[in-house]
Amino acid sequence: MRDSPLLQAESITKRFGGIVALQDMHFAAAAGEVHAILGENGAGKSTFIGILAGALRADEGHIVLRGEPYAPHSPVDAAAAGIATVLQELSLIPDLTVAENLWFGSEERTRLRTVDRRRIEARTRALFAGLGLPAIDPGALLRSLGVGQRQLVEIAKALSGDADILILDEATSALVPGQVDWLLRAARTRADAGKLVLYISHRLAEVRRVADRVAVLRNGETVGTQATASLTDDQIVSMMLGRRLVSLYPERVATATQTVALSVTGLTVAPRLRDVDLELHEGEILGVAGLEGHGQRELFLGLFGAIRAQGQVSVRGQRVTIRSPRHAMSAGIGMALLPEDRRHQGLLLTKSVRENLVLSALGRVARLGVINPRAEAAIVTQAIERTRIKTDTPEQPAGTLSGGNQQKVVLAKLLATGARLLLFYDPTRGVDVGTKAELFALMRELAASGYAILFYSTDLAELANVADRTIVLSYGSVSTVLAGADITEDRILAATMAGGSGAERGSAA
Amino acid sequence: MSSIQAAVRQAPVWVPPLVVLVVMLVVIESLRPGSLAMSRLAIEASEAMTLILIATGQTIVVLRGGIDLSLGGTLSLATAIAATRADVSFGELLPWLFVIIALGALIGALNGALVSALQLQPFVVTLATWSIVSGFALIILPINKASVPAAWFEAGNAKVLGFLPVPILLLFLLLLWWAWFRRTRLAYRIRAAGSDERGAFLNRVSLTRTNVVSYGLAGCLAAGGGFFFSTQTGSGSPVVGSQFILPSIAAVVIGGTNLAGGRGGVTGTVIGALILNLIGDLIFLIGLSSYWQQVASGIILIGVVLLAPLLRMASEPSGGDG
Amino acid sequence: MIRPLRARRRTPGATLLSYIGLIALFALISVFSPGFADPNHITTLLIVAAFTGIAAIGQTWVIIGGGIDLSVPWTLNCAAVMLTALARGQDGMLVWIIPLILLGGVLVGVVNGVGIAILRVSPIVMTLSTNIVLQGLLFIATKGFPPPPTPRAVVWLATGRMGPIPVILVLWALLAVTVVLIERRTSFGRYLYAVGTSPTVATFSGVPTARTTIATYAVSGAGAALAGILLDGYARQSYLGMGDPYLFTTIAAVAIGGASILGGSGSYLGTIAGALILTELTGLLPILKLESGYLSVIYGVVILLTVALAAPTTQRLIARLLARPDAASAIVSD
Repeated sequence: MRDSPLLQAESITKRFGGIVALQDMHFAAAAGEVHAILGENGAGKSTFIGILAGALRADEGHIVLRGEPYAPHSPVDAAAAGIATVLQELSLIPDLTVAENLWFGSEERTRLRTVDRRRIEARTRALFAGLGLPAIDPGALLRSLGVGQRQLVEIAKALSGDADILILDEATSALVPGQVDWLLRAARTRADAGKLVLYISHRLAEVRRVADRVAVLRNGETVGTQATASLTDDQIVSMMLGRRLVSLYPERVATATQTVALSVTGLTVAPRLRDVDLELHEGEILGVAGLEGHGQRELFLGLFGAIRAQGQVSVRGQRVTIRSPRHAMSAGIGMALLPEDRRHQGLLLTKSVRENLVLSALGRVARLGVINPRAEAAIVTQAIERTRIKTDTPEQPAGTLSGGNQQKVVLAKLLATGARLLLFYDPTRGVDVGTKAELFALMRELAASGYAILFYSTDLAELANVADRTIVLSYGSVSTVLAGADITEDRILAATMAGGSGAERGSAA
Repeated sequence: MSSIQAAVRQAPVWVPPLVVLVVMLVVIESLRPGSLAMSRLAIEASEAMTLILIATGQTIVVLRGGIDLSLGGTLSLATAIAATRADVSFGELLPWLFVIIALGALIGALNGALVSALQLQPFVVTLATWSIVSGFALIILPINKASVPAAWFEAGNAKVLGFLPVPILLLFLLLLWWAWFRRTRLAYRIRAAGSDERGAFLNRVSLTRTNVVSYGLAGCLAAGGGFFFSTQTGSGSPVVGSQFILPSIAAVVIGGTNLAGGRGGVTGTVIGALILNLIGDLIFLIGLSSYWQQVASGIILIGVVLLAPLLRMASEPSGGDG
Repeated sequence: MIRPLRARRRTPGATLLSYIGLIALFALISVFSPGFADPNHITTLLIVAAFTGIAAIGQTWVIIGGGIDLSVPWTLNCAAVMLTALARGQDGMLVWIIPLILLGGVLVGVVNGVGIAILRVSPIVMTLSTNIVLQGLLFIATKGFPPPPTPRAVVWLATGRMGPIPVILVLWALLAVTVVLIERRTSFGRYLYAVGTSPTVATFSGVPTARTTIATYAVSGAGAALAGILLDGYARQSYLGMGDPYLFTTIAAVAIGGASILGGSGSYLGTIAGALILTELTGLLPILKLESGYLSVIYGVVILLTVALAAPTTQRLIARLLARPDAASAIVSD
């Protein structure tokens, strides 16, 4: 049933520091439909959803909901306006039970003005039954549930009210196929009842099954909105990817050697990473692709020694058991990680750029523990030049730099240790285009000098254009290896999107 | 998942300390038959009740995710006020009790407001307010004095209905109150805010209000504890609170409440306070010098904290993220 | 919820502010009480502050590292009593007794550190437990008997002079210089601030997090032990309970000195100012003709004012009032 738009957004612009997340973006969705929003990471989906959910405020533009202006100041306003969200970061309280979480704020009360445990647990069971979900013990503490079950509870919570607009942002990321089926059916039921469901996902297969229309975002703009049925997968993919700046990526140079820098057999981090084999050569950039939650994080952290992993790891032919990041970065092993979250894992935001740059390499600037200021200054200058960090002075707090520059500081910090085995975890997230290009050029330079680089990215174009080979992780194992001419964005996208369909175990040696 | 695992998982946090308490009582009873008689229990309850009251207040603040170092000061201040009401009759007991408790609430509310409004760390804020409040206690009552109005002293040591000592009645009332309070929406909001401030905020919990109420309640309880102390001992002391503040934290931890917030309760704290008080008896009966009491308390405190995560890990499903 | 971080102009450091406060307070008191500025009186103030100052060396580092040490009182007391008990009033054996006792302090600290860094017990619970256990052990060891008087050499350390300058101040000054140099110029200092700012970032950056934490508690134990030895000298005896005031004074000195209780910032220089301010404030009592209870109130108010001024909310308010756009540092939160 297509009426006039229930929700309309016009000319939405949102900036974060130097980065433009949304640029003059338009959106319209009607009641009674499931409207999907697709786009790569960084295309602006999460930002737009954040604005709708009241977590962010748009810099420019306006939103009209049911004919009235809509400008929430907080998620509470959004909820009051009839918008229910299931975001990637759950809003559940770990130390409360399932029932207490579901009915928080609207609990039944007994005559003694206490929360009526039995009633809310009964309502929970009724809710789950009514939704067609397998029962989860209403009295179970939320923290005792696994991630998938928690996501189900969050979804159930969003479905429990009578919200006019239901936003599902990557709501199936932790669900198994049976639960995914359930959610898609529930979304369809909602829409048929006259509600609007916004469905954000990376998974084309799911989108096809459930969405009436698809809006594709790219680089902060809406590229197009069409009926799902009228688009082929290829068309959708090409809308998502668009035409790339060729100059973003460095020239393809064959720098990979035959010398094995890192050899991994049977790497396992229960339950997400299972029995992964890989071989990384000096001079090679080995890409890692995969959907969120399919083992990439465990792979990188496990290799780096930040979490415990089983399996065999050899560096330059020597068997090693990496006990800690400090051990990994030591001279004998020379492995360093560019972490996922530069703000909380990579940088001391309140400390100066200088202090951050030398933090991992203090052994090189200090004798008997005492820091030599000149040696320190030399490393700092060298680091800033090498990665071209833009900063007024090395004394400014690292937190004041732009995202791209912050990433360069982290990278320079790693290079200062002399490590030649680099693990890059989604290095270009939240980084501006110019810095991205610099980072890619730097990666190829490093590879040409014999560095070995393991490179995970959620941006498939990057993997296609920068990596020499790419392994695709699915459900914790290597499902495919692509090399040479086989690495195209479409192939990678197809392999990751298919996610879950017959993941064969393979090795990427 | 075995049924034992399920049982351990769902068991309230105060079960392990309860087991310890029961074991202690059994040992004490076997070493000194007659320990469980009402008269002896009354003495135990009386000795423990002050700690129980202040530790209950601490529990609520900890559930909210904070900590309150000023409760000792509030307790001292309460005893100081009680000990300086020289010519007050029995009839004025209740009004003065009300004044003292209201004062405690005010101090607590101030703590909560400071923590919320200025986004300050509870540890430092309550350290400062402790200093201020115990300063006032010293000003009102510079030295210990056994000058609590006789009528109040009698009331505190009376037996309600002829047989029930006041402390036991108080304990009963406290547990009754907790059984009700923990199920109120307010308590859920406090625990939610202590468990996950962001999640609580998204669920429309007022972080400020939960702070003011938690610290305010704690202040009331500490003040009540001080008043109780003065009626039991007949004296006031400007520094007595310092003896209770660290044990109040110990009682909370031993009782199974998580210092990070969100999980636990007063039941466990009461058990923890009783354990702490009984250690002295146990040490004496075993034949060790009474000085071992301190050592035992410290070891129990560490033991509980080390064992709790092990117990939980054994019962959590593999891969269940915290 | 993210707001962009704008370039911050360096607002006056918390340490500097505490020294400004120190001097302002001194000037204020001297106006009302001329004898306050007398060199002898200043020396006495410095000596009294030295005990807190030395005991607070470790507390400073522990707090910078993100923890807290509640075991200072009974570590101090154990050291004090053990010294008098072992030395039995004679100077002769001090050559090995003093190092032994300092080592004991280190041992206590290591136990704390291991519990906190490796067994992941919260600092409050761990150091509280050690405090309680030490108290018990000391009671057992002394069985209530008064220990012998302090040896003369130790008394000299605490009260003697090298020429015009009190020995204890020389000691404090040497320690202070060493401590500040370590904070600023050594790898350990960098590791300390890194761990206090973000243990996660520190670990990911290859910082020896556990070792650093254990070291800070070891230093705290040693500092408390040293303070105990010196207190023996000053009081010419040891007694049970002599360490109790130092829990509050060490933490207060660190807080007033500008260190954040959360860790990652501050310096021993600030703690020195904090210790001096606490001692100075005692000078207010005779002027205002107040009893000692008021000192406690004043201490509390000063601590509150200090942390309130340093709070981000207040900083933003001040910046807005001063209408300095670049100092209105909107901190990124998420």
